[in-house]
Amino acid sequence: MNWLYGISITCFAASYLVAFCLELTRVFFRAPLRKYLINGVILAGFFAHTTYLVLQTQMQLAGTGLFMGSWSGWCFGAAWLLIVAYLWIRYRQPQTLSGLFVLPMVICLIGAGTWLGPELSFPSARARTVWNAVHGLSLLVGTATVILGFVFGTMYLLQSSRLKKKRPPSRLVRYPSLEWLQETSEMLLLVSTVLLGVGLLSGILVNVINQKIGRGVLPWNDPVIISSAILFVWLLISLLFNLVYRPARQGRKVAYLVLTSFLFLVVEFAIVLYAGHATREPELQGRGVTEAPAALCASQLPACREAG
Amino acid sequence: MILKIIGCSHHQSSVEVRERLAFNPQQTFRFLRKFYDAYPQSEVVLLSTCNRTELYAAGQSHDLMPSTEEMELFLADSCGVQHSEINDFLFEHANEQAVRHLFAVAASLDSMVIGEAQILSQVKQAYRQAADLNQPMPLTHHVFQAAIRVAKRVASETEIHVNRVSIPSIAVGVFARQIFERLDNKQILVIGAGKMADETLKYIQGEGGRDFVVVNRTREAAVRLAEKFNGRVADWDALSDQVQNADLIVSTTGASQPVVSLQMYQQIERGRLQRPLFVLDLAMPRDFEPSIGECLNVYLYTIDDLQQECDRNRNARVGEWPKAQKILDQETERFMRELSLRSKGPTIQRLKQQAQQIKDIELDRLMKRLGEVNPQQQKEIEASFHRIINKLLHPPLESLKDEAETGTTGLLDALKKLFQLGD
Repeated sequence: MNWLYGISITCFAASYLVAFCLELTRVFFRAPLRKYLINGVILAGFFAHTTYLVLQTQMQLAGTGLFMGSWSGWCFGAAWLLIVAYLWIRYRQPQTLSGLFVLPMVICLIGAGTWLGPELSFPSARARTVWNAVHGLSLLVGTATVILGFVFGTMYLLQSSRLKKKRPPSRLVRYPSLEWLQETSEMLLLVSTVLLGVGLLSGILVNVINQKIGRGVLPWNDPVIISSAILFVWLLISLLFNLVYRPARQGRKVAYLVLTSFLFLVVEFAIVLYAGHATREPELQGRGVTEAPAALCASQLPACREAG
Repeated sequence: MILKIIGCSHHQSSVEVRERLAFNPQQTFRFLRKFYDAYPQSEVVLLSTCNRTELYAAGQSHDLMPSTEEMELFLADSCGVQHSEINDFLFEHANEQAVRHLFAVAASLDSMVIGEAQILSQVKQAYRQAADLNQPMPLTHHVFQAAIRVAKRVASETEIHVNRVSIPSIAVGVFARQIFERLDNKQILVIGAGKMADETLKYIQGEGGRDFVVVNRTREAAVRLAEKFNGRVADWDALSDQVQNADLIVSTTGASQPVVSLQMYQQIERGRLQRPLFVLDLAMPRDFEPSIGECLNVYLYTIDDLQQECDRNRNARVGEWPKAQKILDQETERFMRELSLRSKGPTIQRLKQQAQQIKDIELDRLMKRLGEVNPQQQKEIEASFHRIINKLLHPPLESLKDEAETGTTGLLDALKKLFQLGD
């Protein structure tokens, strides 16, 4: 089984890229065997991706005790969740061209993860707590949900526009129905709000606990906390608006809500990275800032960083 | 083996003529029974649809089956019409042409709407009805099974069946499906109660639609349509309320002015809470003012919008025609080759039997003349006689097989005469 350690980011990234190219050809011509080819390539990529994450986790747990202990791993984890969603969509709606929308997001996340690199890792002593794990995981899944919502919201707007303009339907591919896209977007809005809410609250709890045990805490006016709170409040307002005001559930309004949520998320992520959230030790009350820990896994993992 | 077809279809005759020659299942059964009584050594299948009535007859030879004229007279008599009234509208085919025609019909290449899939089940049904009479029908069995195979091959190897070509089926199966995931929980409003409404409702029902409300100026017509589809009737005066509640509207009135104006729609728009509304305005002139299509979450499609899609799909199907035709040609040729080979079977069998008989007689005479012969010698003599027969028959049998590839029967006829094998 040593060959499994040879699985690198390229393995699954290339698979997803090939799958995307094959999905693109669906727009231009029919090919009876293409469906099986796409399934094969995606499953191969998914296997490689899963194996990579599992081995990374095993090695990290053996060393630092962290599960996906860097922003890089976090991006790969989010990409993995999107692939799981994509496989489910292919099963439920095999005729639709969802791959053209989901796979680019997956590839972008893998690209971001590769670019960020494992150096931006989370300090192990601080990160290896239950509430930090809850904080990280809920934000990870919540992020993937927001991204999916963005994908479906975009598809809704495109399909709605096509139908309004009475464009002839393609014979080769089709969108999911507006009703399906709307209901799925609504569900994703609810799930992402709950998860990001849990993420925010658990983060606050972590800060409170750290304050009590005399560890460094984030000041309550930290940009990350403020932007996270704004994102959560926005999602909560969107959700309540959607639940209470019936016209909000219809048509393009849901799509606009999830699209805006995605934009908020992107801004939030930029602030998080800029502020070095989770990768720097926060200030102790009245003391100086501690140095960021060295990269945790670069030298330990054989396929940690892509060459070139 | 002979195969003949006579009949009429939408190519040669109007619907009035075809109506007079149409058979329902009970009438078909009686017809087939009567045909077998009159021509017991023939095989027969009757195909009757809204666009064609075709009588297929088969037999081992011309003597054992009716002539084309007799078939026409029989058909006319069974329908209670004079032969002279329908003579000009009937076509006839025999042998290879008949086979090709049947293959084209089963593969929906001869249909009014090329590629419509219903015809194959009708062909199967016609064959089954004939088979239920338990009469021997080896040739018709062979040719109808081949026709079904050809139809399946055309369906799988071409795209001639892909994409819908009728306006109601496109409206519901293509456009409604792009908006709604399911129709069983949608309220469907039908404005007008004519033929187009009826046809469209069939498709909606086929796609799962259940909750129908029919509105028509004439209440009786609305009631008839609603009863047919287990729907409800609403008064014409309640039209705006019904538009407010509907998810899908099919409008097919014969009104000369729009029955739903922009002003009316704007009054009820707020009450709709921006739910998506799919309007199929199949009327001419239009029932909905076009500006309603600009309203939020309203998808308004007219007959022109759907007709464009119809034409596009029809052209796409026609584009598949050469591929389908090639399959038809290949399968017809293959069938005729097989038929030719099968037809030579009895003659070859008789030739071999004749040769075997001669061999047995001469072998017996020789053994009696020779008297005491040890078993080994007897065996050698029998083997020699056997080899002689085989070597003599091999060249003519191979020539017959080669002739079967060409579909001709010259050698077969010569063989029958030379060896006095009979028919």
